Amino acid sequence: MRPLLPGFLVVSLAGTACGGPPPPPYKPVADVKQLMQGIVDPSADVVWESVATIFTKDGVEERRPRNDQQWANVRNHAMMLMESGNLLMIPPRAKDGDQWMKMAQALIDTSEIALRAAEAKNVDGLYEVGGRIDEACENCHKKYWPNY
Amino acid sequence: MRMRFAAFAVAAGFMLATGSAIAHHSFAAEFDANQPINLKGTVTKIEWMNPHTYFYIDVTEPNGTVVNWGLEMGSPNGLMRAGWTRNTLHVGDVVTVEGSLAKDKSHIGNARAVILAASGKRLFAASSQTETTQQQQR
Repeated sequence: MRPLLPGFLVVSLAGTACGGPPPPPYKPVADVKQLMQGIVDPSADVVWESVATIFTKDGVEERRPRNDQQWANVRNHAMMLMESGNLLMIPPRAKDGDQWMKMAQALIDTSEIALRAAEAKNVDGLYEVGGRIDEACENCHKKYWPNY
Repeated sequence: MRMRFAAFAVAAGFMLATGSAIAHHSFAAEFDANQPINLKGTVTKIEWMNPHTYFYIDVTEPNGTVVNWGLEMGSPNGLMRAGWTRNTLHVGDVVTVEGSLAKDKSHIGNARAVILAASGKRLFAASSQTETTQQQQR
């Protein structure tokens, strides 16, 4: 028996078959792993590493963006992370039309909070949402990619 | 959340050399739950940052050699939910750490619990291993 098409793909194809507008001519190139390594990981790193408090015997280092350019860099990487959630939703990357979509949406939502925090130059906000972005990543990895 | 697998060994070495923490990865990718560690040492550095907070301790081995270990905990959010503040742990504190060894057998571990020698207080370290266990118990 041939495997059934995923439901979300059937809906997508049905829309085209019923005379709806043609699908946008996008061409996904990277698979999920490549997307993670090329865009998600580096973007998340910039957001996460933008704020830190480091204690050593020499004192305390408060790591923060120090000027408009550095804040804009954090904002731009939060935006890349946010848009990565959309890229994850696009077939053939999407693994299903239910939990996968919700978890990708969680990445978008938390990254948008990071973007707004960077726009507002809100250090505490970046700290707080950094943990929520990590939770969004963890939840998805536990279900779909547990050993990475 | 840098590349999670082969890169970890490189990143771990870099971390020990520079004192910088590596970023996001799952517990199972980096640590071996079947390789428990129990370390007593003096805190030399604490990094409150996402996605994982790290601290470092000097551990004196039986032969007198002092080895600096890097120990990963959860995110600052997770630690605060577990009762931590940024003043919970200080450089110079003596602690005992229960956790799991890194798969590459380097001097890196995932801390499950930290016991403060001065007060005897035992704190859970919000590790993803702990959270997984708690979720399974619910």
